[in-house]
Amino acid sequence: MTDVTVAEGAIARRRLGTLVDGGPAWLGDRRTAAWDAFTALPLPSSSRDEDWRRTDISKLRLGDFAPAGPAAEALVAAARARHARALPQAALVLCGPDGAVSVDHADSLLAQGVIVCPLQEAALRHPEVVRRGLSAVGVDGAYFAALWNALWAGGAFVYVPRGVEAMTPVWVSHLAPEAGAVSFPSTVVVVDERASLTLVEDRVGPGDAAPRLSVGVTALRVADQSRVDDIPVQQLPPGTWHFATRRAALAAGSRYRLLGATLGAGLEKAYWDVLLEGAGAEADVLAVCHARGRQHLDLQSLQLHRARDTRSNLLYKVAARDLARSVYSGLIDVERDAVHADGYVLNRNLLLSRGAVASGVPRLEIKANDVRCGHGNSVGHVDDEERFYLMARGVPAEEAERLIVTGFFADVIDRVSQESLREWLTALLAVEIAGAPAAEPEAATEDAAEPGGRGS
Amino acid sequence: MSSAPLTQSGPEPPGGGSAVSAPAELRVEGLRVQIEGKRILEGVDLRVPEGEVHALMGPNGSGKSTLAYTLMGHPKYEVTGGSVSFAGEDLLALTPDRRARLGLFLSFQQPTAIPGVTTVNFLRAALRSQGRELPARDFIRRLGEEMEALRMDPSFRSRYINDGFSGGERKRAEILQLAMLEPRLAILDEPDSGLDVDALRTVAEGVRRVMERNAGRMGVLLITHYYRILEHLTPDRVHVMSEGRVVASGGSELAHRIEAEGYEPFLDAFSSAGREV
Ligand SMILES: Nc1ncnc2c1ncn2[C@@H]1O[C@H](COP(=O)(O)OP(=O)(O)O)[C@@H](O)[C@H]1O
Ligand SMILES: [Mg+2]
Repeated sequence: MTDVTVAEGAIARRRLGTLVDGGPAWLGDRRTAAWDAFTALPLPSSSRDEDWRRTDISKLRLGDFAPAGPAAEALVAAARARHARALPQAALVLCGPDGAVSVDHADSLLAQGVIVCPLQEAALRHPEVVRRGLSAVGVDGAYFAALWNALWAGGAFVYVPRGVEAMTPVWVSHLAPEAGAVSFPSTVVVVDERASLTLVEDRVGPGDAAPRLSVGVTALRVADQSRVDDIPVQQLPPGTWHFATRRAALAAGSRYRLLGATLGAGLEKAYWDVLLEGAGAEADVLAVCHARGRQHLDLQSLQLHRARDTRSNLLYKVAARDLARSVYSGLIDVERDAVHADGYVLNRNLLLSRGAVASGVPRLEIKANDVRCGHGNSVGHVDDEERFYLMARGVPAEEAERLIVTGFFADVIDRVSQESLREWLTALLAVEIAGAPAAEPEAATEDAAEPGGRGS
Repeated sequence: MSSAPLTQSGPEPPGGGSAVSAPAELRVEGLRVQIEGKRILEGVDLRVPEGEVHALMGPNGSGKSTLAYTLMGHPKYEVTGGSVSFAGEDLLALTPDRRARLGLFLSFQQPTAIPGVTTVNFLRAALRSQGRELPARDFIRRLGEEMEALRMDPSFRSRYINDGFSGGERKRAEILQLAMLEPRLAILDEPDSGLDVDALRTVAEGVRRVMERNAGRMGVLLITHYYRILEHLTPDRVHVMSEGRVVASGGSELAHRIEAEGYEPFLDAFSSAGREV
């Protein structure tokens, strides 16, 4: 099927056909509805769609990308090495770009009654829970979410039964597709009442700058009184177009904490939605982003307060250099019933080069009474006094700057409670900050379909 | 003339700060400095031979901190005339980090906080840059000893440098850096201001200890308003600055006179800069 491309409707329909035939009927219906929605939607446009106003993907040609084959051995080894270094005690779910999934180190979780398995398998064996998980993400809303809903394969599924505190974290590795291919990384998580889970989701690929496409969804359903720590790390190759939706639906009294690091991809549009659906639900979203070269990284966050006494707090810290561009928009939406909601959103940007650009637009939309909400954003440069203070102690200018940028991220990274994971993230950031040579995107010419190519 | 460079290419003098053979004498001649077009230093002359303790006194606004910052190479201060040499090097041609590696240290009157950079990481980066990195265990042990001597709580190790520190804590943290870095000349800009009697003794003893450890080879240029700290660190020379010039110089008894009579007599009396009293 290597000649199959997602954009060539008839052939993609055949691929869709195999996916529909190979799964349960309810899922087939879902895929078909999603495909119909997708084919009815135009490619998002920066002139028509508010969400895409500052991210132009008009050069994206879906038809240029073939379905991904199996991951190269070296990439599998690299992904395993990341897990082994950062959080070896975690169960490991390796998701190949072609939909192949392997699960390791999950015995202690399975003994607790936790389900850790390929999503496609779960759809057959545990349809009710999978539907609960998937229900967080609608099939017909957005272009890429609809495409994902139609064509995802493989993926990771985690279910933590009521009252169970998962003994070990779950580490999901999503491997990037090979050059010129597309993958649909998927993670669906359901954590039942009074249960808890730590999830790491690592998106990783080889270092070359060939064009790739990745369209992913992570759906989390967090039931009453449960707790989830969610740690997404994105370090895709620099030529990757990355479209991702991450959506957590939080029931009453639950607590969700996201600690994210966005480092890779050429062009990214990510949606991070937190739906505070039950009374007293709480969410903390803390993330760092380091953009360099010609990366264009767009994050759009939503803190949707639907119930009373809900609390959310978001901090997004971005450092951009070279010709990189960061685009952020964040909405706190407080619905009528969400009395006593408490929401805050803060975006801080540090520009390290003349050519780097960062823009942040946090917004509030409040329909309830008696709420406490706020927002802020800032764009700044490395402080001259801080640089001078370090230099006065003998530290050369460039290293002083690296220390200051590292420090800028510290209040997020310091919140990672597992020491080995924190050290690994610090090391990943150090490599980005030190700017080990990133490959320039291939075919970086005006008319090529490469992402992140609009530096000027 | 222009402000200090922040980046520099070209070879570093051999040996960095540790193995330079020329005596660590500071010579300032006719130094003129302006900030944003405003003239602050109007021809400063000053000489601090290796290992001597010199006090620099003078009313607020007379240019003491400007001199200190200029010696360290702050880019905001524009040198419009004069010369400065240290250990035989033309200091004004060097970036601040090279000056530090040559053995110059400034204890800031108002040290800057660097959010996210812990005291430990800050000091390790500084030592590494100066080619004097210690093995992790030795470093932690030394740091522990110095902090104890300065009566600093061990928690300061992992706190972000100067971030949320009180005035007194900042002063101690500066002296902690002095003790860890062991420079050849320490410029201390009001290390005593805002300290209570006990804290002042701790800080002064901290400086003394470093001097003694270096067998009297570390020079000190101590900027202060108060006689009290000079009781702990007896100066070889005392200089009085006014309106951007050194207007009087003398032995340690000059500090006594200032304590008793204030700056007035020196300011009224001066006609030619650098008068010996
Ligand atoms: N950054 C600055 N911008 C403008 N004027 C300054 C600046 N720093 C110091 N000055 C001025 O320079 C003069 C000397 O200040 P300073 O060197 O701090 O004096 P001292 O340390 O002796 O109190 C004062 O008039 C002060 O207002
Ligand atoms: Mg001063």
